[in-house]
Amino acid sequence: MEFFVDENDRVDGVDKVTGKAKYFAEYQLPGLTYGVLVTSTITKGKITTIDTKLAKSAPGVLDVLSHLNKPVAAGYEQAGGSPMKIFYTDQVFFNGQPIALVVADTFERATYAATLVKVNYEKEAFNTDFENSIKDAKAKKLQGQPPYIRGVADAYKTAEVKIEQIYTMPVETHNPMELHGIIADWCANDQVTVYAKTQGVKAAQAAIANVFKIPQENIQVNSEFVGGGFGMALKTWPIEIATVMASKHLKKPVKLVVTRDQMFTMVGNRPAAYQKVGLGATKDGKITGITHTAFGQTATYENFTEGVVNMTKFMYDSENVNTNYYVVPLDMSVPIWMRGPGEATGAFALESAIDEMAHALDMDPLDFRMKNDPEIDPAKKIPFSSKNIKEAYKLGSAKIGWSNRKNKPGSIVDGAWQIGYGVSIGVFNASRGRASVKGILKADGTLVLQSATSDIGPGTGTGMGLIASRLLNIPTNKITFELGDSSLPPAPSQGGSATLSTVGTAVNDVCVSLKSTIAELAANSNMDATSNFVDVLKKNNLPMIEVTKQSQSNQQGKDYSMYSFSIHFVQVKVHQLTGVVKVSKIVSVGDSGKIVSPKTARSQMIGGAVGGIGMALTEEALLDNRYGRYVNNNFADYHVPVHADVPEIDVIFIDKPDFIVNPMGAKGMGEIALIGFAGAVANAVFNATGKRIRSLPITPDKVLEG
Amino acid sequence: MSEIDNNQSGDTRRDFLKKTSLFTALSLTPLTVLKAADNKVDERFAELFEKIPLNLKVNNKPYVLKVEPRVTLLDLLREQLHLTGTKKGCDHGQCGACTVHVDGERVNSCLSLAVMNEGKSITTIEGLAKGDELHPMQAAFIKHDGFQCGYCTPGQIMSGIACIREGHANSKEEIREYMSGNICRCGAYPNIVDAIQEVKEKGATI
Amino acid sequence: MINFQYLRTSVVKTALNLLAKDPKATFIAGGTNLVDLMKRGVTAPEKLIDINHLPLKQIELKNNVLRIGALTSNSALAENAIVKEKFPLLMLALQSGASAQLRNVATVGGNMMQRTRCGYFYDTTMPCNKRQPGSGCGAIGGYNRMHAIFGTSEACIAVHPSDMCVGLVALEAQVVIASTKGERKINFIDFHRLAGTTPEKDNNLQKGELIVRLEIPLNNLNKNFHYLKVRDRSSYAFALVSVAAALELKDGVISNVRLAMGGVAHKPWRLTASENFLKGKQATIANFEAAAKLAMNGAKGFGENDFKLKLAPNTIIEALTVAKAKA
Repeated sequence: MEFFVDENDRVDGVDKVTGKAKYFAEYQLPGLTYGVLVTSTITKGKITTIDTKLAKSAPGVLDVLSHLNKPVAAGYEQAGGSPMKIFYTDQVFFNGQPIALVVADTFERATYAATLVKVNYEKEAFNTDFENSIKDAKAKKLQGQPPYIRGVADAYKTAEVKIEQIYTMPVETHNPMELHGIIADWCANDQVTVYAKTQGVKAAQAAIANVFKIPQENIQVNSEFVGGGFGMALKTWPIEIATVMASKHLKKPVKLVVTRDQMFTMVGNRPAAYQKVGLGATKDGKITGITHTAFGQTATYENFTEGVVNMTKFMYDSENVNTNYYVVPLDMSVPIWMRGPGEATGAFALESAIDEMAHALDMDPLDFRMKNDPEIDPAKKIPFSSKNIKEAYKLGSAKIGWSNRKNKPGSIVDGAWQIGYGVSIGVFNASRGRASVKGILKADGTLVLQSATSDIGPGTGTGMGLIASRLLNIPTNKITFELGDSSLPPAPSQGGSATLSTVGTAVNDVCVSLKSTIAELAANSNMDATSNFVDVLKKNNLPMIEVTKQSQSNQQGKDYSMYSFSIHFVQVKVHQLTGVVKVSKIVSVGDSGKIVSPKTARSQMIGGAVGGIGMALTEEALLDNRYGRYVNNNFADYHVPVHADVPEIDVIFIDKPDFIVNPMGAKGMGEIALIGFAGAVANAVFNATGKRIRSLPITPDKVLEG
Repeated sequence: MSEIDNNQSGDTRRDFLKKTSLFTALSLTPLTVLKAADNKVDERFAELFEKIPLNLKVNNKPYVLKVEPRVTLLDLLREQLHLTGTKKGCDHGQCGACTVHVDGERVNSCLSLAVMNEGKSITTIEGLAKGDELHPMQAAFIKHDGFQCGYCTPGQIMSGIACIREGHANSKEEIREYMSGNICRCGAYPNIVDAIQEVKEKGATI
Repeated sequence: MINFQYLRTSVVKTALNLLAKDPKATFIAGGTNLVDLMKRGVTAPEKLIDINHLPLKQIELKNNVLRIGALTSNSALAENAIVKEKFPLLMLALQSGASAQLRNVATVGGNMMQRTRCGYFYDTTMPCNKRQPGSGCGAIGGYNRMHAIFGTSEACIAVHPSDMCVGLVALEAQVVIASTKGERKINFIDFHRLAGTTPEKDNNLQKGELIVRLEIPLNNLNKNFHYLKVRDRSSYAFALVSVAAALELKDGVISNVRLAMGGVAHKPWRLTASENFLKGKQATIANFEAAAKLAMNGAKGFGENDFKLKLAPNTIIEALTVAKAKA
């Protein structure tokens, strides 16, 4: 079917709108069985007994796996406890921990039988209280990142004007629309096929090989379509290993699809954060000192850290900066990177503080930012590969109508609503890694590109097709980009906004190579150098030519500081009586080099803004510290934004190539789309009301009481 | 779905069977309606409790099935009929990914017991395109890039079509309100609204 | 969930007989809450009696009374021409609840029967007197931001989650209930109950009874009305506080007024004292504020939901203000 309206449409659009796109749980395997997890109902302690008799005798049940009858996983026999070895311990580390897997012939039967498994525990005292642990000097804290000092520590304290505030954020959950899980099929001779929901087919292959100690070549990981990830599918989780174990044990294909509530405890989260920011400036608005101390939550059984204080080191021109970052191990499931990892958390605190300082100085927050915008990276003392922040400020502020903003909070009233404007900046690393791509140029006029990368939604195949199309002058509908298959040339996991840069560079190299081969062939056969490749191949009696190229990570890191930037402008309306906040206008400006795929890039920026609305206004996973359990682990009570929360969104791209980063001149943008957004909303709420909300999400109660 | 048939199944199945009555047996016949209320229990019908007959149409194709009463319409579509275009996002009616049309109305198939759809006509995402010709809403979603990962997309499209048919697509604001039962975590909302508005304004019968 | 028995009938009497005979049976209509609760293991009926085919879907205005069959879907009711014209407050309340998909299936009777959304009620491993009498109340001393401020007990501080019911209380609806013994009619306000020491009982429907219809007397409250739902996101969320307000104005004087609140009690909360205060007074902000203050007599917060002590009166004022400004 050919439905292309234009070359910018998604290459997998037809599959996605017709229901043909197959996600992991949708592969039909003969004899497929269904796994359902039994989870701990205590937070910490020991499993004393698991009674599976009733469950095993229930109709359709094949077996119940637990630590009592674990199939041997050679990799788990080795020393070391991290990552969590599923079914290899009787210890409970968090509430909702998977402790048994019931496998039956149907989903309904497995689900029912799972309720028949009876577990007894020896309970131990536990701690899930993040804020109290920070305040309690005796509570364990780990250094999450080495302390950083530039100039004088805590210089803000002696500044002419100073701000010192605490900013907090709750646990957020990725909750992609697709439930997590896997289909595992362990066949004869240790040949394993899995259909996975993963951001990295090669990483999943390696993880399974590592646990079961079988050669990577034995493991085929398929993950063509992934129903969203946002970071949670960057890891092969213990429950996936458990399913592979079950398949090995039962010699049948086993499918596991977790429940929505299990998405809150089994596949990571964005950790809660508690941040202190001290900011000092001269009366005329020059920043003289920044101190940023952050605490994040981690698990007792596995450690997790992220770059919460990174951007503080270089976003503003200050002689004196010091940062520190700690993690607090709690009896909770381990976090994992979530869209804009670290920076999204840090940006909320830093960008709120910047806004607070601008207000204290009675300066327009845009002018204050411009005044302290560094020409070179003040931390590394090297130039940025490219940075067009000032232009971004100008374009964005014009579009949102920044001139309508009043510096005095609470100045604009429209009936029952107060109106305010806010701005915040986002930044994320734009370096790239190593990836391989194979290109097959065929005499029928088509090009096939292959790489074991993944696509969780940004439009990887679309972007790659456009890169190749422009280099080889082939229409995009003649180009196929194959991904999500571990047998293809290796590529890193899709994360950190690096896919287009990393894999795209290899695509670029493949195309350049194919082009020169065609030129050589043309010359050898006395054809014009500009001859069409189809004619050249035919003349040479070649059905196809192929080449594989491996791109290397960027070597310019020593000379240039490479980042993507974004600036988010928002207008909010705050209801004076009810405290309801509505984001009424959004302008997001992306400074991420050359835009390769304008349509999907715009969608990514829009998506980041929507995620930002959630972070700012609605999202909060609530864990009851008395029980160690989440009380809103569902989509009705954990509020991700809905249609009605989202206004029209204007996206502006600076669209200037940065050839230092890669040959396309394109920088990543998945993270910057969200990073900083929540700060812009909080700043707008302040501008509307004069109420500074330092604790996300900004729900009506906080506005009312603020 | 195959019946489990191992050594123990005879006894265990009986253990799991609930007491029976003729009322149930009567209800097993499609479209049979109970008129009498005082019949006695009949053990012969016990076997039938596990699966009961179900007749329905999906995308105009008639199906004659036997299903357990606890099977939801969503799981029936996905796991038994292998119509996997309809998605499971939450399984609790809180996300809209499983939206299908039942006798023309949009519903969350995850909260609908399959057996409650006796005699009904179901339309899923697979039933929209006519051969290679996309439904106008499908084409509009591609044009406006109304998705990223694509997982909520079938539900959004089914819901979007219903939204227009119901007469609730007269402004962006109204579309947003009436589409709020379909969550998109990638955040394609503005593009989805554009797609629906365009289809509505073109005025074709959908 | 267990593989329950499933029966279907199109005769009310048969349905009632079936239910009367089996203590482990329950009716299923739309199922949008019941199936959810069964999946969560909160309830596990062994027999479901599908009542969707009972002839209880009519909406008719007769002798100045609107009669609504209990199996009318929420969307059919909201889209009904008589409801839109004569009872637009009810339409607004219905549109504020759930999603378009759920409203297509959820019935009027089922809406009344829906259980609380308290997180402790839904998690079978946590204490909840409503789910498991005697196990304690997780919400007291826990996350109770969504919980009740009126009519609470030591056993339960859950709220009834319906929007439709708030509108119906304001409209002084009545409920017709059938059983094998015949029919009875009660005021809608008396249908739901406070938790007291028996929070497991949400309402006064007796075992073996079936809601067959609602009746709403015609009124003049279709000009100055509003349903305002304050929630954590703009749609598809349960209320923090909601207010149904309707005024009958003559030369700026309030001749009739109805006020009810949702999200604040174990049942839809009628604001009788505020209504009495406003009757005969000018429709001014000052009077609205005084009425809102009166409404809060006896309100009590439980920590996280203390903000409702401020949000609730503010929402009343805003709802009255918008209602007054209409037409």
